[in-house]
Amino acid sequence: MNPSERIAAVISLECPDRVPLAPLLDHWAAPYAGITNAELMNDPEKRFNAVLKTAQDFRWDMTFLADTANLTLLKIGVPALMRLPGVDLPENATHQFDEIGAMTDEDFDVLEKDGVFALFSSLIPRIYPEMTIEQALMDIDRAGNEITEQGSRLREKGIEPAVGFIIPGPAFDYFCFARSVNKALLDLRKRPAKMKSAGKRYCEDMLGLAVPSAMQCSIKRVFIGLSRSSPVFLSSKYFEEFILPDLDFLIHGLIDAGITPVLHCDTNWTKFLPYFRRFPRARCILELDSFTDIFRAKEILGDHTAIMGDVPSTLLAEGSRDDVRDYCRRLIDEVGAGGGFILSSGCSIPLNARQENVLAMTEAVEEWGWYS
Amino acid sequence: MKGQLAQAFAALDEERVYRIIDECLPIPGDPLMIVHELSRGMEQVGELFKKDEYALGELIYSGEIFKGAMDKVKPFLKEGDGKPERKVIMGTVEGDIHDLGKNIVITLLECSGFQVIDLGVDVPASKFVNAVKETGAGLVGMSLMLTTAMDSMRQAIRFLEDAAVRDRIKIMIGGAPTSERLREDVGADFHGRDAIEALAIARRVFHPAKGGRI
Repeated sequence: MNPSERIAAVISLECPDRVPLAPLLDHWAAPYAGITNAELMNDPEKRFNAVLKTAQDFRWDMTFLADTANLTLLKIGVPALMRLPGVDLPENATHQFDEIGAMTDEDFDVLEKDGVFALFSSLIPRIYPEMTIEQALMDIDRAGNEITEQGSRLREKGIEPAVGFIIPGPAFDYFCFARSVNKALLDLRKRPAKMKSAGKRYCEDMLGLAVPSAMQCSIKRVFIGLSRSSPVFLSSKYFEEFILPDLDFLIHGLIDAGITPVLHCDTNWTKFLPYFRRFPRARCILELDSFTDIFRAKEILGDHTAIMGDVPSTLLAEGSRDDVRDYCRRLIDEVGAGGGFILSSGCSIPLNARQENVLAMTEAVEEWGWYS
Repeated sequence: MKGQLAQAFAALDEERVYRIIDECLPIPGDPLMIVHELSRGMEQVGELFKKDEYALGELIYSGEIFKGAMDKVKPFLKEGDGKPERKVIMGTVEGDIHDLGKNIVITLLECSGFQVIDLGVDVPASKFVNAVKETGAGLVGMSLMLTTAMDSMRQAIRFLEDAAVRDRIKIMIGGAPTSERLREDVGADFHGRDAIEALAIARRVFHPAKGGRI
């Protein structure tokens, strides 16, 4: 099987020839390829070359295009002030978000009535005074073309690009960035109707952007960020009332268009895992970041949804090569049993991951990942 | 009022909490009772969190209700009433600006009668040392989210040792990538897995006899 076939087999819960390997790559590509993080974030060609070198050297089946370190995408996708390497931070630091609460109470009406671009027009000048919405939209258009071109260059080298579009999350996750977590959590209690009506418009518009973008670049997988909507932040009552309707809409909308949702779950989702059985079988990837119990996920969802994960960032940064190999072997044996599993890092490979630890993931799939 | 206020607080019934307080405040001698009831309510919120019935959203909301309630009560308190003696320094270590977890811990500590000196985020090691010297706090909480900031945590604790103040304080660490292993590695005293554990640690540090449950 080639990497594309291998990934397709995993998604459809058939058994591939071996466990595919697809760590979540962003900042780590910079030190590995010998460029600065500032260059990685700002220069599309250097970013692509760093991604390609990393994915080729470590013999990955699939790689992210360091989308989560792409400054253009981050600026429009995440409505929070960024501290950037080479500007506010040393050139090789990781960018960080400062949730300044740029979205006002009135902006809910703007979003509901006029949609996400009207909201972006309100938010962007508050966060980036030097930037206009026209410029942001041109940048996004350019970034879309780059993803199309880079995805096809990756495929020429036999590597599958991971996702063709990133949805920051259900509306609540977006509002957490735009309003701040505390405010958004209070909004659920103080203005529930507005959260739902504005959130519905947000999801409709994001789906309207995601489907044509994924189609245009022929990477028919779309990332949906799930962090603040997790059971760490929300009790079941609020999850069912505010998050599930958004997820139903987004996931079904993508699947109906022939696109695979990649559900990127940050923090501990163990309590909410049974909810994922409501989504269509063998049509999604559930990506876990090591805080969710991935072995429990296999028990609950193994016959229903492909699972991707979850070598912890602390292990990659602070563990030994043997620690990583042992953990990968357990993942392959238990979560990979019968297929339906992609070996990956738990969230992004951390900037200070040891090279031999990243290589240990490759060694593990090549040594123990084959299905007889 | 006794029992009702704590119950309303634990149920996060904000309107009812304020209504009960409004009814009680004109009665002499009641302000401290109100504070006590609010603290009991907060303890019940913590129990519900531990039982997984509440999540961080409920903890944060309870902090808001507590602040609203205290705004009503404060004008009726005499000077020195309920003034916290137990001081805790909190900060996210240098190189990291994540503050969500730290702020939740601060809210819980303040609602539970601790005085918190919040050093903010991206806190250099020397600032922790100065704060300990200036405030005489007995507990220092250090937070991080980035694995790349672990060295800053090590350095901050080393600075506290070098400044000869380490033996007069306890240090707790927290944040997503922290662990018992990291606690040992950096030389901290406690690792809190969540805000409720951090609160229990603070109680244990300041009231060892009562033994805050962790």
